[in-house]
Amino acid sequence: MEGRLANSWRLTVNDKNFIKTALLSEIRIDGRKPFEFRKISIKFGREDGSSEVQLGQTRVMGMVTAQLVQPYRDRPKEGILSIFTEFSPMADPSFEPGRPGELAVELGRIVDRGLRESRAVDTESLCILAGKFVWAIRIDLHILDNGGNLVDAANIAALAALLTFRRPECSLGGEDGQEVIVHPPEIREPLPLTVHHLPIAISFGFFSNESILVIDPTHNEEAVMGGRMTTTVNANGDICAIQKSGGEGVPRRVIMQCLQLATSKAASITKQIKDAVEVFNTERALRKIKRHPTSTGNDVREKQN
Amino acid sequence: MEVDREDGRSQNQLRPLACSRNILHRAHGSASWSQGDTKVLAAVYGPKAGTKKNENPEKACIEVIWKPKTGQIGKPEKEYEMILERTLESICILTVNPNTTTSIIVQVVNDDGALLPSAINAACMALVDAGIPMKHLAVAICCCLAKSGYVILDPTKLEEQKMKAFAYLVFPNSVRSVLPEGSLRVEGEPIENGIITSVTHGIMSVADYFYCLERGRAASVKLSDFLRRNLQQQSTDSSKAG
Repeated sequence: MEGRLANSWRLTVNDKNFIKTALLSEIRIDGRKPFEFRKISIKFGREDGSSEVQLGQTRVMGMVTAQLVQPYRDRPKEGILSIFTEFSPMADPSFEPGRPGELAVELGRIVDRGLRESRAVDTESLCILAGKFVWAIRIDLHILDNGGNLVDAANIAALAALLTFRRPECSLGGEDGQEVIVHPPEIREPLPLTVHHLPIAISFGFFSNESILVIDPTHNEEAVMGGRMTTTVNANGDICAIQKSGGEGVPRRVIMQCLQLATSKAASITKQIKDAVEVFNTERALRKIKRHPTSTGNDVREKQN
Repeated sequence: MEVDREDGRSQNQLRPLACSRNILHRAHGSASWSQGDTKVLAAVYGPKAGTKKNENPEKACIEVIWKPKTGQIGKPEKEYEMILERTLESICILTVNPNTTTSIIVQVVNDDGALLPSAINAACMALVDAGIPMKHLAVAICCCLAKSGYVILDPTKLEEQKMKAFAYLVFPNSVRSVLPEGSLRVEGEPIENGIITSVTHGIMSVADYFYCLERGRAASVKLSDFLRRNLQQQSTDSSKAG
């Protein structure tokens, strides 16, 4: 059953030519301009650290969990950040369950590089007892619907989940101060993570005729394009990572153009993420006030079955 | 017996249900089902050509992939996959598309008790959304038995952990038909009195089990009504754009 020709999806030659011809007149098949991003919607789940991002038709869910572990030997005072990407078979009929394929690994690495090496998440504040106990933050990214440009959506989901995640507060105790006591969330309010800046990934697609450039390619455009590049920049104008693996060569000025575009888009996306997180935090605070259910008319003894 | 549940519900009260269909674009059918805080997303792809090895090619085959919220796939997930597969195989008409595989992918978004019943309900809705031919729908409910002997429906995660035993029950949905009464009976009983799947955890006496079945069946009528309203509403105002 695996690998049967009938089961694989292919874009027809007519579709491909249509997309390419339309791009020559700067028209994209979903009506956008070449440098226009799709609509981003960021939603959060009930728990802290769970986000769902929709970028046009692409849908990604992010979950952040934390565990106390022993730190790496060569970094005894730093916490651990790990990213797991799941290309769920529900996103695309060609995604197989089981071990992540190349695309999943590449996506994971791009998001990882943006967060870890630019020191966006402060890992030193995750250390509780140097050499013995640190927090290991695990980010799970589930791709639910593949509408193109999974990297950008996954990155936003990871950032949104990290900003709303709260880790339990813990203190040192025991006779020699070597024991770690983790306080449950009902006793002590859990703490948010320290995130210094938000690295936003912006992807570009290159097409062979007349070096046409588009931002945020859709699924159909990805099947047609000759090369892709993902730049991770933050709102301050710092470049956190650039990934261009193979594909056709592009001249220098095109790369500079991409970087400039990316910086301007990053500012607006950062604002959107921060606004959504604000709304979630206010709701969360309100929910805490209403924690005990007020006594409603429980005297009505109607049999609800 | 008056029972105090933490969220103020009565013994037989279900949590607020919410369901939406056709939420994913690539999947042929998709549905999201939430009971209170438990939320499950299901997607259906199918029928695809070919069956798995050692499966009967004269029938359609159903494949279920369960994706937990976080962590590796272990034995509990495999068990859920098997239960879902067998439940859905019994409600789908397998002879319509022989030698094909229909894949159902279940993604847990949040687990606050009664996870497997929510998943079964979500998978059913997703199958309807995809247009897979089925004999009838399945409605699933969770009943718990407490140490003091009372039975509550649709527990939250905290309640599930405190209970002596609980049972996941799946019934066929209640039928509203234009055919005469007699034709939809199996051995003299109406079809919705049957039970498709029952999974129990913990010890319960036979009398308690039958009591759970009774409560569950009564609640499944409410669930069937909810399903029916939901499906009718969406079929009148939805317009699929390619």
